[in-house]
Amino acid sequence: MDATKPVTIEASELEYDPYHEKTQLARYIKNYPRSFTRNPSQPLIERPLTLSELTGPLALDQRLGISAEDIARLTPDGTRAIGQYIEVTGRVVDEDGAPLAGSMIEIWQANSAGKYIHEMDRHEAPVDPNFAGVGRFVTDAEGRYKFRSIKPGAYPVTESTWWWRPPHIHFSIFGPSWMNRFITQIFFPGEPLNEVDLLLNAVQDPEARDRLIFETTPTVVGAVNFLTFRRDFVLRGKHRTPELD
Amino acid sequence: MSRTSLPTAPYCTIGPFFPGEFVTGCEDLTSFQGKRAQGQHILLTGRVVEEGNRPILNAIIEIWQPDANGVFRHPLDPRVQEADPGFFGWGRARTDVDGRYSFRTVMPGGTLVNSPVNSYSVEARCPHLNLMILAIGLTRRLVTTVFFGETPDFVRDPVLECVADPAARARMFARRENDRNVAADVPVYRYDIVTRGESETPFFLD
Repeated sequence: MDATKPVTIEASELEYDPYHEKTQLARYIKNYPRSFTRNPSQPLIERPLTLSELTGPLALDQRLGISAEDIARLTPDGTRAIGQYIEVTGRVVDEDGAPLAGSMIEIWQANSAGKYIHEMDRHEAPVDPNFAGVGRFVTDAEGRYKFRSIKPGAYPVTESTWWWRPPHIHFSIFGPSWMNRFITQIFFPGEPLNEVDLLLNAVQDPEARDRLIFETTPTVVGAVNFLTFRRDFVLRGKHRTPELD
Repeated sequence: MSRTSLPTAPYCTIGPFFPGEFVTGCEDLTSFQGKRAQGQHILLTGRVVEEGNRPILNAIIEIWQPDANGVFRHPLDPRVQEADPGFFGWGRARTDVDGRYSFRTVMPGGTLVNSPVNSYSVEARCPHLNLMILAIGLTRRLVTTVFFGETPDFVRDPVLECVADPAARARMFARRENDRNVAADVPVYRYDIVTRGESETPFFLD
């Protein structure tokens, strides 16, 4: 969307289904202590929607750098990171299924050994010198995005005695308004750790939980080989993808 | 950053391992595409704490605001063509071990022009900015509004008026720090955030 040209929209386009606790993450998660000391004790307050809430940062590529489509290597000619080479595609749509073009997507993930490049990650797994685990992309006119990476590894939550986070990729998406600011984690299908992950299973409705898991697509063998995963995002409305910060 | 500077459990390991490079440079909103933002530049700073007044380390804070004349860089704003070419309006910061964040930005203007969008948004807004928090333990972002003004009791704003408790309303105002006590080249405004506990910050449903 061109940020410098005024547009008007109809009120009906702004209506959406109310927040539904079962299809989003529970606020308090048993055995996840921080949720009990950090979530507000008071109910969230309803407010009118003014220009301030209905607008939001657009054309973020004017402000933030975009990465190459293939983040499995640091430079176009660089050595590929160790791990299962994957391609991730999908679309970002609003509650009516209309594509959101020009939306910035930020992704971050662990390497194939389950290690992040982050000073707070104390997992003793090795850093891969050819992998940074970050990417920034912009959706096209059809709301589509695509990137290549390596499949992240699982990693232990070291304060716990049993909890391993299943492989997942973090997505931060800038929709057309501040209300559409969206952050979540997407998981891989068929992972045994998915069954016991405290965060993924905090979404009660199985159908909504599935919106946090990549779909597989038919495998292809060719000149360049990778497994392909797909995930569409619905930023508002009844079929909203759950947020998972 | 040295690992020894970080506290031990329970602060480590659970996400978000939000990449540092996604934050670097985003704390300063006072220029855009090589142009300097118009209006009064300010430092907005404060601490983010949880229950028991304990600092939240590694929270990600984002803000969205109009320029010094109250114009949003967004096509829904009827004045978008007058938007300050030196101001983008979005920023991101991360809290340190004391729970402290800082932004360099401009004092937002009031949004005095009525929106043509719909019946929701017919009222003017007093100077404010939108703020969002992501942190470990919050499964969903928290959103609130930071107001600017010296006399909270007399400020009229349709969003502020949704907060019933006058004491809670007062907590939504950034407080001008005494210039003699702070070493900064621009006015400093302090806005502390209590995600849970006594003096809890009001948060909005969105």
